[in-house]
Amino acid sequence: MPPRLNIFAAPRAPVYRPRQSIAVRENGRICVIRQPLCRTFADKSGSLPVAEEGGLDGVSSEGAEVGRMGGEVKGPNMQTSEHVSEEAAKMAKMTGGEGPDLDVGTPVQDILKEDKEALENAPQVLKDSLKSGASPPKPSSTPSTQSRSYSTTRSLRALHSDSMATDDVADSPVFNSVNAETGEGQDLMSSEATIPGSSGHIFPLPELPLPRNTHLHYRYDPVVDQVTNLLMKDGKLSVAQRNMSIILTHLRTAPAPMYSGNKPLLPGAPPASHLPLNPILYLTLAIDSVAPLLRIRSQRGAAGGGAALQIPIPLSLRQRRRQAVQWILDAAEKRKSRGSGRGLFAQKVAEEIVSVVEGRSGIWERR
Amino acid sequence: MSLQICLRCLSRPSAPSQIRLVPTTTNKQTAAFTTSTPHAAAGRIQVSQMKPKRTGNKPTATRPVRVKRLSPKNVPQRTGRPPAPGERKALRKRVVLSNTNALEVQGMPDLNPWQLFDKSMHGSVAGLPDDVVDPLRVVEAFKPTQGWSLFRRPATLVRSETVEMASWVQEVHNSQEGKTVRKVLFGERGSGKSVLLLQAMAMAFSKGWVVVNFPEAKDLTIGHTSYVPLYRNNQLYIQPHYTASLLAALPKANPILADLRPSREHNLPISVPPNISLARLCDLGKDPEIAWPIFQAVWSELTAPSQPDEGEGLVRPPVLMALDGLHHIMCESEYLDRDGKHLHAHNLALVQHFLSHLSGASPLANGGMIIAATSGSNKAASPALDFALRRNEALASSPGADIPAWDPYRKIDTRSLKAMDGVEVWRIEGLSKEEARGIMEYYAKSGMMRQTVSDTLVGERWTLSGGGIVGELERGSVRMRI
Repeated sequence: MPPRLNIFAAPRAPVYRPRQSIAVRENGRICVIRQPLCRTFADKSGSLPVAEEGGLDGVSSEGAEVGRMGGEVKGPNMQTSEHVSEEAAKMAKMTGGEGPDLDVGTPVQDILKEDKEALENAPQVLKDSLKSGASPPKPSSTPSTQSRSYSTTRSLRALHSDSMATDDVADSPVFNSVNAETGEGQDLMSSEATIPGSSGHIFPLPELPLPRNTHLHYRYDPVVDQVTNLLMKDGKLSVAQRNMSIILTHLRTAPAPMYSGNKPLLPGAPPASHLPLNPILYLTLAIDSVAPLLRIRSQRGAAGGGAALQIPIPLSLRQRRRQAVQWILDAAEKRKSRGSGRGLFAQKVAEEIVSVVEGRSGIWERR
Repeated sequence: MSLQICLRCLSRPSAPSQIRLVPTTTNKQTAAFTTSTPHAAAGRIQVSQMKPKRTGNKPTATRPVRVKRLSPKNVPQRTGRPPAPGERKALRKRVVLSNTNALEVQGMPDLNPWQLFDKSMHGSVAGLPDDVVDPLRVVEAFKPTQGWSLFRRPATLVRSETVEMASWVQEVHNSQEGKTVRKVLFGERGSGKSVLLLQAMAMAFSKGWVVVNFPEAKDLTIGHTSYVPLYRNNQLYIQPHYTASLLAALPKANPILADLRPSREHNLPISVPPNISLARLCDLGKDPEIAWPIFQAVWSELTAPSQPDEGEGLVRPPVLMALDGLHHIMCESEYLDRDGKHLHAHNLALVQHFLSHLSGASPLANGGMIIAATSGSNKAASPALDFALRRNEALASSPGADIPAWDPYRKIDTRSLKAMDGVEVWRIEGLSKEEARGIMEYYAKSGMMRQTVSDTLVGERWTLSGGGIVGELERGSVRMRI
């Protein structure tokens, strides 16, 4: 029994979109390149894919069976007549007259002239205006008041018309959007003028690189941010931020510190009277002055005779600061306070920072 | 006796004196292999008695039950002198008014009631003169939660509400028949009600008025001070210690009282000389036993008609009475009556005294101002007061306005509603952009806000503070963000 499946029959043509080849002038020579598989813009002027005749299933809307190859039966919505304005534009092009302005919506009167059924159901006002013979606004060279200046299709058409006028395919921004080498696309809405006639940007361009503290996650000073996170307990960041503000407020209301000459502060430290009005600098100075540069790692048994070998390891900036802040918080915990209420720990931390800058703190020995 | 061998260590002691003679018992013979002591083996001691003795756990006459003591770890031991009673509260409630690190704002004018009518002062920040700051401190007009401690000297913004208040002060001061202005300030938290009260008090002090302030109405009803029913009066209760502290502060804040003397005789529990000054009379009221009668006497003197022609010391200035936290006195207090039920706040004599003046039942003969402010952050539940504020605001806005009505099927505190009848209410809203700019420039000039005050910044901070709410603006500019 022969197989039902006819394996020797020709397969149906696969549905594919033929890849467009474009001619690009490069280095004085014209080379033909093929467009990438995925195009990066919606191009109306390019050829659209042709739907397979007779539909994929081979069944038309009428229900009659059609053959796979050939057949003239159209699917639904393929037999509609063109829009009034587009037809009028085509007629005008053929005859050489001026067609309607396609950027503007089609005047209702033109539609009603074609569509008799709609005319019957139209409001009385429109019927009267038609009878009186009011004409729709004629297209003029100056843009009409109803035109949308922000229309993107309008700007695209303008670009196309420009490109068609110059007849220079290679210089058109539409076609240049495809990079010859990399095949990457480029934004059409680029910094180039999208509205014909304007010469600059609507809004001023930002100064690059953007400042770090304009980003939501980096809006605080790095030292303040790190200390806040180290103050945080049980994930209560808002409490830590409140305590941080208490610390900074104490730093700028307490009397200015007095530098003692015996403890080395960070080089380039400002005079002590400048610190209270700049509490973040005050905090940074305290932390960076007392921060260790290295930590010692012991390797067991490596020194010979069973002793551990001491290996110094440099610390990064954040690690140094973290160690210093840990020492400050530990020392603050041990302080005694005579007050009550909220913010006592923050008060102690602030007093510890002042004592670090003044050289009185026990952290200097611990360092 | 033959030489013995120790069965344990197998040693042979040479001298007879080193032999340990094992005492033998007559009752029982101990076996040679036994490891227990002979005393134990003899059965003379119980096994339970062989356990190590624990002393101090047996019940005694003084401690009938065995107590297990837990010692917590890592608790810091208190060393040194413990804080004196009241020291910690004083530290918590202290108000610092000056920051020597802040820059001095050059050319800042002083808050002068006469100058406030000049439009040029509106929107700028005015400093409080020293002779006004000291009495304000005595009456506790400054609050520790406010931001006075960040700037060089105390200063406030002259906003449109300040100018309006100054016009009323001027009206009362110039009126002959004793005009009284009665207002209740309400609004959002941080909108500046307490500071407006402070500005009114500052203006009153500078004009020589007598100022009586209740800084926290919560202290009247929270039940922390003593209370005593009035003699033969079940409804009214007096608060001796609170009244005594009020009388102690009165002459310190109002030095004018030293120049005034009583115009009539008073029936007081103690004998007072006839020519005593009102300040000395207040000093006598520091004793809680006689505080309330003396307070009544002083108040009746202050509200007696002024007699400038009679003699010295009989001139009577207008009186300003201010109260902060109105919700607390429009509901039940924490005090209990003899049946154990909560006293309504209106049963307290001091509260009744204030509310009778606020509602207009007790007029001030020499004029003055009675102002109360609600508190956004410290609010007691008083639906009656909330409703009364909405109702009075609607009544004042336009005659045909939609006046809210209370749901008749729900209970309401009728006493509080009646107390608020006919009282003018004043909603305090946010600053305008110009006023916000004025106060932000003050922050920048003091060095507390290290940013250039531009239109963008003002607009941003104004919006972020909920439309110019002063407290939020200060928090966003100076406290939480540096």
